[in-house]
Amino acid sequence: MTQDLTAQLALLPVTLSHHLLLSMSALLTGILICIPLAILISRVKALQWPALTFASIVQTIPGLALLALMVPLLGQIGFLPAFIALVLYSMLPILHNTVTGILGVDRSVIEAARGIGMTSFQQLLKVELPLATPIIIAGVRTSAVWVVGTATLATPVGATSLGNYIFSGLQTQNTTAVLVGCIAAAALAISLDQLIRLLERSARQHSRRAGMAAVMGLLLLFSAGFAPLILKRGTTKIGTLAPVVVGAKTFTEQYILAEFLTVALKQAGLPAISKTSLGSIILFEALAAGEVHCYADYSGTIWANVMKRTDIPPRAVLLEQMTRWLDEKYQVRLLGPLGFENTYALAISKESSLKRRISTLEELSAHASALRIGSDYEFFSRPEWFALKKSYGLQFAEQRTFDPSLMYAAIRAGSVDVISAYSTDGRLAAYDLVVLQDPHGALPPYDAVLLLAPAMAHRPDVVAALTPLLGTIADERMREANKMVDLERKSVAEAAAFLWNLKERTGKHMFNTILP
Amino acid sequence: MIRLEQLSKFYDESRVFAVRSVNLEIQAGELLVLVGESGCGKTTTLKMINRLVEPSNGRIFVDGQDVVTRDRVELRRSIGYVFQGIGLFPHMTVAENVGIVPRLLKWEQSAITTRVDELLQMMSLSSEDYRHRMPAELSGGQQQRVGVARALAGRPKILLMDEPFGALDPVTRDALQSEFKNLQRSLGLTVVMVTHDMTEALVMADRIAVMHQGRALQVGTPQQLLAHPDHPHVTALLETPRRQAARLQDLMRATQS
Repeated sequence: MTQDLTAQLALLPVTLSHHLLLSMSALLTGILICIPLAILISRVKALQWPALTFASIVQTIPGLALLALMVPLLGQIGFLPAFIALVLYSMLPILHNTVTGILGVDRSVIEAARGIGMTSFQQLLKVELPLATPIIIAGVRTSAVWVVGTATLATPVGATSLGNYIFSGLQTQNTTAVLVGCIAAAALAISLDQLIRLLERSARQHSRRAGMAAVMGLLLLFSAGFAPLILKRGTTKIGTLAPVVVGAKTFTEQYILAEFLTVALKQAGLPAISKTSLGSIILFEALAAGEVHCYADYSGTIWANVMKRTDIPPRAVLLEQMTRWLDEKYQVRLLGPLGFENTYALAISKESSLKRRISTLEELSAHASALRIGSDYEFFSRPEWFALKKSYGLQFAEQRTFDPSLMYAAIRAGSVDVISAYSTDGRLAAYDLVVLQDPHGALPPYDAVLLLAPAMAHRPDVVAALTPLLGTIADERMREANKMVDLERKSVAEAAAFLWNLKERTGKHMFNTILP
Repeated sequence: MIRLEQLSKFYDESRVFAVRSVNLEIQAGELLVLVGESGCGKTTTLKMINRLVEPSNGRIFVDGQDVVTRDRVELRRSIGYVFQGIGLFPHMTVAENVGIVPRLLKWEQSAITTRVDELLQMMSLSSEDYRHRMPAELSGGQQQRVGVARALAGRPKILLMDEPFGALDPVTRDALQSEFKNLQRSLGLTVVMVTHDMTEALVMADRIAVMHQGRALQVGTPQQLLAHPDHPHVTALLETPRRQAARLQDLMRATQS
């Protein structure tokens, strides 16, 4: 635990820097856009409704959705989409408070300003803005807290933030990482909130001393916050080769595979960094755009979600067609399968498998009417489920939906007899469950395949480093590695090392895979 | 000094009249009071003089020059204005408030400082004690002294005053009224002042213009008005001060005997 904490804290300065850079540049841009806009709005009444309504609508979009929307809109991942989403997110409080502040200035004071002969611009500069300042700062303060909090959601669109801790920590059940991320984000938000509050008070009470203290505090926070980034920049510029960027989606297996690929690249003398916790579709787009250089995806996922195909050809045909399609459409190279498949599957306890002699879906269908099935939120509405029901005529006595983690507890407690599962889930082994065979081939194959970005597709060093990995991970090995993280609370690095050592010892696991 | 010719202001496509065909001439060094009940058009008339409100009809001459031909901002800077409800800038110190017009006129900083001290002295506020205070720290009477000082800072020849003493308690009001009257005389200021208080008008004015429903009903010295009110409404307005004076006299007589 303490060792893990030390490891997590070592990453904190740089992550915090990125978070601060992202949120503060968004906030500053928000201020620079919104204050002039609000001044315009306060002068031209017709603009007031459309502008404030637009900002309110943006505010109602959930933060994660707004960030994810920016990726297809901009066609790229990383800093920019996160930055733009956060700028939009910061607008409402600043806009609203500035307009309210300006329009709320006492009419008699405005009249006095006109009456003594101020021009409209002088009125604004010498009277309206100074009097509105405390309210404007209050708006900035609200915005700052929102932006710092929402910036944690920038991780899935590929921008480094304190969300890196939270997303990967939640997936790999690393409570320490989640806590470090949450506490750091909260501490940052609270310090900003308090410093800006001091600024607000100094404006309200015309206290120069409080103002100076607030400005000093902010400067101190920023210089401490940005220092690691500046220092790091100084050292990494010396490297000659740009690092290979390894991507991963947001679940345990993906984190392990990204680490596994990174180890392989580093062993071959290539600098490599990983960009994890990316949304599934976002990750493929990032690969096609060359922002991520390689990652492992699943053939069925690409087949259905990217190629939009609904037919299920035999495994080898599917792989071959997909390889050609990816190359022609995106110049993405499918290097080959890693050796295991991670598909939706149905599982029963080993005990009832032996007792009722069920090892395939065909055998299951004879007993189904007496059995209860449990599943996660998604499975009963997925095409895989309809295909299974149709192909095997499955009709269960009862159908129940669970949170994935409770689903395993339910089958252990005997409150359901069959569950849906990912075939490489470490919990299958841990809970003594048997995955049922699919003799009809009703489920599309979900072979884990290694994809290379267009720019990497034919780089000999990268191809040479990754090719030896193909076919080295069998289903049980992946399941074991997942179990290490999900159940035994081992780190992702340990699980990746486990896979690496097995590969070193035994070499290729399967030779019968059809390599395209 | 100031001449209003057939001055009118109407709103809502000439359906609502605020001011109808007012003719007035104000001499240099004269204090003219526009008096009447709320909504009679007195404040609108005042605001048209420095173009805070643009006339719908008629003309205004200041120093023989039609105000329409003058730049609005420059015109306002050359005319002092004392506001109803005081209208000091709450975020500026007393000195900054008083010095604002000279600053807009781009005077030297040293000249501004000297002028501010001089004006505070003139308004019986010790410069040392008051120049760094914020308006909110002052009493109503002190605030309006600062308001008058601010209006005089640019050395205007004309001063417009909109209910300047309306928000003050009677004792302070009385003191400021007589102080201001003396100041006006000694500086030779031309003043147009708006009030709804007929007693205040009688006490302070060189001449009074009684306004009613947008028209100037009668213009004359306080003596002329008291002696020959030529409109029933003027008579009615004079009734209150008369009755108050009579009662006070009775009361004082009774106390003496």
